Amino acid sequence: MEAFLCTEDLCRQFGGVSATDCVCIDIEESGLRSIIGPNGAGKTTFINIITGRIPASSGKVLFQGADITNKPTHELVKMGICRTFQITSIFQNLTVFENVRIAKQARDGGSLKIFSTKKSLKKVTAETEHILERLGLQDLAQQEAKNLAYGDQRVLEVAIAMAGSPQILFLDEPTAGMSPAETNHISDLIRGLAEEISIVLVEHDMDMVMRISDKVTVLHYGSIIAEGVPEEIKTNQEVREAYLGKDT
Amino acid sequence: MNALTTVSVDHPSTSPIKIIGFVTLILALALLPFVWDNRFYISLITQIMIYGLLAMSLDVLLGYTGLLSFMHNAYLGIGAYIVGLFLIHVSQSSLWLACLVGVIATAAVALPVGWVQVRTGGLAFALLTLAFGMMFHTIVWKWYSVTGGDDGLMGVPSPDIHVFGWTIGNTGDPTHIYLLTLFVVSFCFILTRRIIRSPFGAVLEAIRENEERAAFVGINVRRFKLYGWMLACILAAISGALFILYKGYIGPSTMTAFAGAGVLMMVLLGGMGTLRGPLIGAGIFIYIQDYITTMTEHWEIYLGLVVIFLVLFMPTGFVGLGSYLKRLRGN
Repeated sequence: MEAFLCTEDLCRQFGGVSATDCVCIDIEESGLRSIIGPNGAGKTTFINIITGRIPASSGKVLFQGADITNKPTHELVKMGICRTFQITSIFQNLTVFENVRIAKQARDGGSLKIFSTKKSLKKVTAETEHILERLGLQDLAQQEAKNLAYGDQRVLEVAIAMAGSPQILFLDEPTAGMSPAETNHISDLIRGLAEEISIVLVEHDMDMVMRISDKVTVLHYGSIIAEGVPEEIKTNQEVREAYLGKDT
Repeated sequence: MNALTTVSVDHPSTSPIKIIGFVTLILALALLPFVWDNRFYISLITQIMIYGLLAMSLDVLLGYTGLLSFMHNAYLGIGAYIVGLFLIHVSQSSLWLACLVGVIATAAVALPVGWVQVRTGGLAFALLTLAFGMMFHTIVWKWYSVTGGDDGLMGVPSPDIHVFGWTIGNTGDPTHIYLLTLFVVSFCFILTRRIIRSPFGAVLEAIRENEERAAFVGINVRRFKLYGWMLACILAAISGALFILYKGYIGPSTMTAFAGAGVLMMVLLGGMGTLRGPLIGAGIFIYIQDYITTMTEHWEIYLGLVVIFLVLFMPTGFVGLGSYLKRLRGN
């Protein structure tokens, strides 16, 4: 059976440095895959290549059998590949509702209707309301995004990504800078989503990663050094060394 | 779910008071030349409306798509030259055909320019508009045999205004061109306002807010920037058609970077991202310009001072003045 999403010898050099070095990964159709690794391991670079933010130096990305290497971002989104960013990326001066609505509209079509009202896209409106409710943002719907608390902005970014009806969703440190309560809220949310779609989570919070992941991939200097269920990773000697340095 | 049924998706729909106000304003302006026999001011208001349309078209680009064009007047100029040349060389009386040709030809020029420009954003985009604008200026300035060079395009005929076979006026008559301009500009304003509030307009706003995020929700950013650019250039071309009908003349000075900066000031004075603001801004700018010119030939210096003053003390433009003052008092 062909893989849902996989990379073949994916590389990316910055100058002489290999940020991503011959990475081959197989990601399942559903479930939660975490990518961890020490700072500078190339985690973000890796998902940046897959989601079309930066081009690969060499290698391939295959999605449902199709070669999607270096495709324009907006085409990847239409195939169901969505993401969030490490540094919150939302539409600051638009309302929470409009933030999600425009994402839904971009996915479902209707953007060329120049004389209609936004309301006339009924399906888009209904699904936007549904997403806001699911993420608990409905009470903030009419707030401008910039006026939201930081944690809510992070949740909004997940909402925007979900509006793209992803088949695979890349989350780049969704809990960075969040309070423990907010982290719990979002990790429950991510776990729930992982029952339906494929989630790839880049995260530094080890407790959270070990608690909710189905499978963990460890990157170090741009290469995969370990892969397996959380229990295996916890006890893996090479992973310990990567994080803590070699015992002498 | 019930909590959300009251959520407004659109901009709040236009209140009846606003519609009545708008219609009253248009009717009052339409009646003005019949009760106020001052041809000078009727002509000045015509000019304000034409530049208001140009400033509004720049607002589509600047205030809604987030793209800065330093020389949007270039597309008024191109439109005006083409309509003028058509009236001189092809047909003296085909008003509507001339305007149609002018708009289509301007769009044909703007399309490849836009295609190049949308590959960039921010400052690079703005500099490209300046580069293309200066090229266009030089072409009309130096291509003497076609454009009349420095002397400008002279002897443009004034066609009659026909509507469904009825002759209702002549563009050479200040009142008639005033009414034609009022009609066209109002129509363009209503149309643009509708477009800006459509799903298409929402895409432009998303690009203004965050280009990268827009791409990552599935928007083809370059393509929609190009659509926004084309909309802005077509509206500018319409203002150009009105310009040549109103003046019967156009010279290369209309297409200088200096004049382009003036259009930008109109948008900022009136209030960016408001559509009606730039129309008001054009009114302020042209009135002050006219007023100061009667006193000194160095009007640019004094106008500059006035603009600096207004920008410093009305950062949100004339339209945002009310809420700005409210906030000041609140603090």
